[in-house]
Amino acid sequence: MSNPPSRGIYLAILGAAVLAVAGGAAFWTASRQKPQTSADQIVTVDARSCQPNAITVPGGRRSFEIVNASDRPIEWEIVDGVMVVAERENIAPGFHATLAVQLAPGSYEMTCGLLTNPRGTLTVTASDEATAAASEVTLKKFLGPLSEYRVYLVMQGNQAVKAAEKLRDAIDAGDLPAARAAWAEARLPYRRVEPLAYRFSDLENVIDPSAAYLAGREQDPGFTGYHRIEYGLFAQNSTEGLAPVADRLVADLGTLAERLKAAPLDPALLLALPGAMARQLAEAQIPEGENSYAGNDARDLTAATEGIAKLTGLLRQVVASVDPKLDAELGTEMQAATDAVAALQGQDWSQVPAEQRQKLAADFTRLAETLDRLQPIIGMN
Amino acid sequence: MIGTYLKTTGLALALGGWAGMAAADPSLDLVGPLADYKIYVAENTAQLVADAEAFTTAIKAGDLDKAKALFAPTRTSYEKIEPIAELFSDLDVSIDARADDFEKAEADEAFTGFHRLEYGLWEKGSTEGLAPFADRLMADIHTLNERINGLTFPPEVVVGGAAALMEEVAATKISGEEDRYSRTDLWDFDANFAGSQKIYDLLKPLIAKQDPEFVAKVDGNFAAVDAVLAKYKEGDGYVSYEKLTDADRNLLSSKVNTLAEDLSTLRGKLGLG
Repeated sequence: MSNPPSRGIYLAILGAAVLAVAGGAAFWTASRQKPQTSADQIVTVDARSCQPNAITVPGGRRSFEIVNASDRPIEWEIVDGVMVVAERENIAPGFHATLAVQLAPGSYEMTCGLLTNPRGTLTVTASDEATAAASEVTLKKFLGPLSEYRVYLVMQGNQAVKAAEKLRDAIDAGDLPAARAAWAEARLPYRRVEPLAYRFSDLENVIDPSAAYLAGREQDPGFTGYHRIEYGLFAQNSTEGLAPVADRLVADLGTLAERLKAAPLDPALLLALPGAMARQLAEAQIPEGENSYAGNDARDLTAATEGIAKLTGLLRQVVASVDPKLDAELGTEMQAATDAVAALQGQDWSQVPAEQRQKLAADFTRLAETLDRLQPIIGMN
Repeated sequence: MIGTYLKTTGLALALGGWAGMAAADPSLDLVGPLADYKIYVAENTAQLVADAEAFTTAIKAGDLDKAKALFAPTRTSYEKIEPIAELFSDLDVSIDARADDFEKAEADEAFTGFHRLEYGLWEKGSTEGLAPFADRLMADIHTLNERINGLTFPPEVVVGGAAALMEEVAATKISGEEDRYSRTDLWDFDANFAGSQKIYDLLKPLIAKQDPEFVAKVDGNFAAVDAVLAKYKEGDGYVSYEKLTDADRNLLSSKVNTLAEDLSTLRGKLGLG
């Protein structure tokens, strides 16, 4: 006896067909919902990965629609090395969110849900839009570097006060070796911020005057500040009579710290500071010496070079995308000057041969000339 | 010794300010607040390093009570500066990821950091086996401190951070999932609010004149949040999250969402959209 297909089978087939149609309808509805976006790229994050898991977009301002198809809240990030470039946090299951971000050409990664899930890759290709954005010089590109320099001024300004207080305490205690060591330390933060500090001429004239520029030389009543203390500690070999000078220095550095904190900064100033300082070193301290009693100019120059390097590094952040070649040259010149100063550490400046000083001065002049080339490229006026 | 011409031109440049910028561009007035914010962050990371030293030392000494007492206050410095801290993808994961970010949850070997320690101290009720996690946390925090000190803060991240912290509270803190083992969520809440309000307060002078209504509304919402949180203060910190009433949770939730929405307009208002 043949067994005709039972009624049940027909029902099952019918049921399957209905489910298939319903499933298709659901898929159709879901897929209809996603393209409502005007985003450049849709990324669906499911329980295991991003779909697609490898994306290529042209550089410039790109938008991404992130669809959370997993059953837990997710965050989606574009990562460059260890740095997050952009992110959308806390996208609930079933929801989607858009993210627009300015992308420079390069290789990035995308996080895809669980931290244990493999990351996707995002390749950003060169484009006219990206080239235009990179070469554009805007005030916005200067805001970070200007703010960072202000932080540096505040930190080093405070450090200068603290170091001078330590010097004063050693002088008050009549401890000559401690005072000499503290003097050398106290110079360093001041030298780091000197590119701006020396422009406050009233303070500079009481904090850092040199006897050679005063009519009465060491006996001149205007001989105050760091070098007056240096004269006592290293030429007269005594802390005697230095307490009031040290008190005054602490007070003047306090005023300087306030001024450094309040000084208005702008791109033109940031551009002018490091080259002017490098040139000044090449023309004055390197050939002639400045700490004539202590002879430790080499150590001072390390701090002065750090101050120039801070500024140069900040300007490089601006120029890097505009003129990568100049950026690289600045890196090379800055390193050469840093290395040249490092090689002279520990020597009494009066013992450094003239030709070696000339060579060092040339390094700083070349650095200044390279810094000069920034003005036509990222100068804003 | 000194080029007088440099002095005079330099000061003229310094005092001349910035003229002629288009209205849509950000202003140089942002430099002060951005710098002050980095100093605030630097102070908090210095505090975080000091607090984490004490916290991890207690764990390694096997002092359970002390370690539990130090957990929440140590986290606050991290929670305040989260907009910057979470820029470092690797460290944010190893310092502050939650168990459910991992495939095997608490059992996942990649689960480290504050919440791994929290899990051990509260769920397991013991410092046993936590020393390697304590060492790792301390090392990560030192690295974070160094990286932050060397970082030029991106202006749009700082300005956007005020809203980002509120979104963080809205999405994961209100539900009480952040500190699920210790129930110290209200400490984190307070720190997130403080971090957001710091950014807002620094930027307020730049928008107060042109947008007094906005400032009044945001000030009011921050004050409302403070008033709710004040009810749950205990000693230097907060009572357990379980004591938060439904009514207060709802009120906080609505204020947080409004703040997130309002603060998200700061970038546009300041030309960093």
